[in-house]
Amino acid sequence: MEFAWTPAQDAYRQQVRLALDELLPVDWAEISQDGMGSARQIDYSRVFARALADRGLLVPHWPAARGGRDASPWEQFILAEEMKSVGEPRGPQYMNVNWIGPTLMRYGSPQQQEEHLARIAAGSVVWCQCYSEPGAGTDLAALTTKAERRGDAYIVNGQKIWTSYAACADWCFLLVRTGSGRKDVSILLLPMSTPGIEVRPFPGLVEDGHLNEVFFTDVEVPATAMLGEESRAWEIVLYALSFERVGIPRYHIGREVLEWAVGQLRREGRFDDIARARAAGIVAGFETARLLTYLVVDQRAKDMPPTTDGNVARIAAAEACTELSDFLLTYTPDCLTGGDHVLNAFYRGNISATIAAGTYELQLNLIAQQGLGLRRAA
Amino acid sequence: MDFDLSADQQALVSGLQAVMRPYEDLTAAERKSFCCYRPALQRALRDAGFFDVASHGLGTLEAGLVAVTAANSPCAAEVATSALVWPAVLDGTPTGPVAYVSGDLNKAARFLHVAHHALIDTGEDLVLADVSAGDVQEVETILAYPYGRFVAKDVVRRGRSLGRAALALARRWARIALALEFAGAAERAVAFTVDYVKQRHAFGQPIGSFQAVQHRLAQCHQLTRGMRYTALYAAWKGSDMAANIAANTAQRHAGKLCFDLHQFNGGMGVTNEHSLHLWTHRLRALQGELGGAQGAALALADELWPAAGAQAARADFVAALAI
Ligand SMILES: Cc1cc2nc3c(=O)[nH]c(=O)nc-3n(C[C@H](O)[C@H](O)[C@H](O)COP(=O)(O)OP(=O)(O)OC[C@H]3O[C@@H](n4cnc5c(N)ncnc54)[C@H](O)[C@@H]3O)c2cc1C
Repeated sequence: MEFAWTPAQDAYRQQVRLALDELLPVDWAEISQDGMGSARQIDYSRVFARALADRGLLVPHWPAARGGRDASPWEQFILAEEMKSVGEPRGPQYMNVNWIGPTLMRYGSPQQQEEHLARIAAGSVVWCQCYSEPGAGTDLAALTTKAERRGDAYIVNGQKIWTSYAACADWCFLLVRTGSGRKDVSILLLPMSTPGIEVRPFPGLVEDGHLNEVFFTDVEVPATAMLGEESRAWEIVLYALSFERVGIPRYHIGREVLEWAVGQLRREGRFDDIARARAAGIVAGFETARLLTYLVVDQRAKDMPPTTDGNVARIAAAEACTELSDFLLTYTPDCLTGGDHVLNAFYRGNISATIAAGTYELQLNLIAQQGLGLRRAA
Repeated sequence: MDFDLSADQQALVSGLQAVMRPYEDLTAAERKSFCCYRPALQRALRDAGFFDVASHGLGTLEAGLVAVTAANSPCAAEVATSALVWPAVLDGTPTGPVAYVSGDLNKAARFLHVAHHALIDTGEDLVLADVSAGDVQEVETILAYPYGRFVAKDVVRRGRSLGRAALALARRWARIALALEFAGAAERAVAFTVDYVKQRHAFGQPIGSFQAVQHRLAQCHQLTRGMRYTALYAAWKGSDMAANIAANTAQRHAGKLCFDLHQFNGGMGVTNEHSLHLWTHRLRALQGELGGAQGAALALADELWPAAGAQAARADFVAALAI
């Protein structure tokens, strides 16, 4: 055990920071003000991710044969930290490079790999993930969107919801039911321009771009677009989700937001000991989350099977963020009325941070049952 | 960054566990008591060289591993101060337990009744005092550590001044030592409780199968993971910021841990023989030491947001780039 970064990791982080300095346009603050799901930021992600790819910084962790250079998960994570700390200019493409691409490498047919991987590695394509439905969120296996085989094609009917980025996406990673058993599900890869798909954005508390309903009406998808075998996708879903075990590093933006609040309190002469202690406690919470996240990256870098430390790190980060939201509204109640985009984005993003990609309670279930070995109630 | 123990570290921890293992079985009298302190364990740890790991070519992180592991034991052994605070300010090895005393010298201090030495934070100076039998009086408490207080009035005068620089170092390492002790005791208290809820049945099933129990235990587990790694990081880093973060992370959550863990042990948990208190009462003892979570947080705040004109420390303690 030891906690130092290697000189190579430090140098790599500097390289990423330099690239960000050089690549981000002067109006980046404006482009990113409505969050990574906004149409404007997604548009820009197509420019940015391409430029990043040109510098070898989009998929460094991919195998050399696929356009990467077999970089370790540490580098992948350093990249994620640095991207997130400036507002994630890769937009939704972080999903492509982190889990869609790797899942296609493992389960895709040669044609599917041929069709998709180079495009992802070039930074020119936006995907969305269509899993959740009105009646199937935490209980994903309750999904009802159906794909029926007809000749060389599947006909899809049903509805998805909360599909982030769907309104701007080019491609869809779609989970459908293909049999009567609970886990008889399959994955289809299809262009969002396929006739019969309708995306309806709806307003909500979270940032732009996340809240979409996606309707599928007699959507015809060639059978060759199925990832893996019919009705065997549960394993693929678990594999894809396992990449999300290292959560999105939210501590940078959290620290930025906290500094804003502290700055205001100091200017107004209100940064008393109670507020100081609470603010410092939040920093301690963020740093704890960061360290626990590094623990998970280390496990991943060593190819260890997933542990519940991933769930632990996620809830540690979520709790620190939640404490910060509460601090903001307690000590700087005007934080949401001054038109500050970073504060708005933090607050709004935080509401769903304990819901999207597996709820807080689901994480606790997993820690208790898989980590502590407690069994479910009969 | 590598979170796995190296071969040397693993050998150190296994060796320590082997020394502690015979002390896992408590005597009937100990099982009814509030505190289990064994001079023989204390001597065994010293003789095996666990208090001077640094002189065996290992560093403060290894001393931290010793402290956190030793705190797992049902027996309260004085390890953290000897292994971490002493070497930060003094050469050589203590001849026996070291009490770290700060604040009012008339109050009871952990390990003082059994200590050979006291490191005394007078507020201005760090003083090393050798402690002999007539200097202290035992104080009986429910807090699962041996406590004592000074009866001799001239201890500080008789002691050796180590100076202000040593005081600053001692304060830093005392917080780190505290965080490690806290983490070790908390981990064991959670493991003990997880074990209990698997065995104890209610309504025809283990109480650990109820989600209300599972969720809170999962949260307790999460807290101990954070405590372990912030404390070990602080032992490795040896900075004030890391020390304050570790102490705050531990002390801040004592209330939740003790509440939940006692709840889930039910009526059994309030019997001495059940032993839960040997760890939870240590958490309670540590909770308010050295200024408690608030003190650590304010010290951290002073570093992060110093008075106008002073230089702010880097805000992230696991700095993305070397601080
Ligand atoms: C901003 C945002 C973006 C999203 N993006 C996407 C996306 O791109 N693609 C996609 O497919 N989905 C997406 N989702 C959907 C997300 O995955 C689901 O919202 C999530 O899985 C929870 O499902 P649900 O909303 O149906 O809540 P429910 O499952 O109805 O849960 C409601 C409450 O019940 C609790 N609960 C449920 N089951 C249990 C249990 N067994 N034990 C204890 N408590 C339980 C939950 O923890 C929660 O507190 C997104 C959601 C949000 C908010």
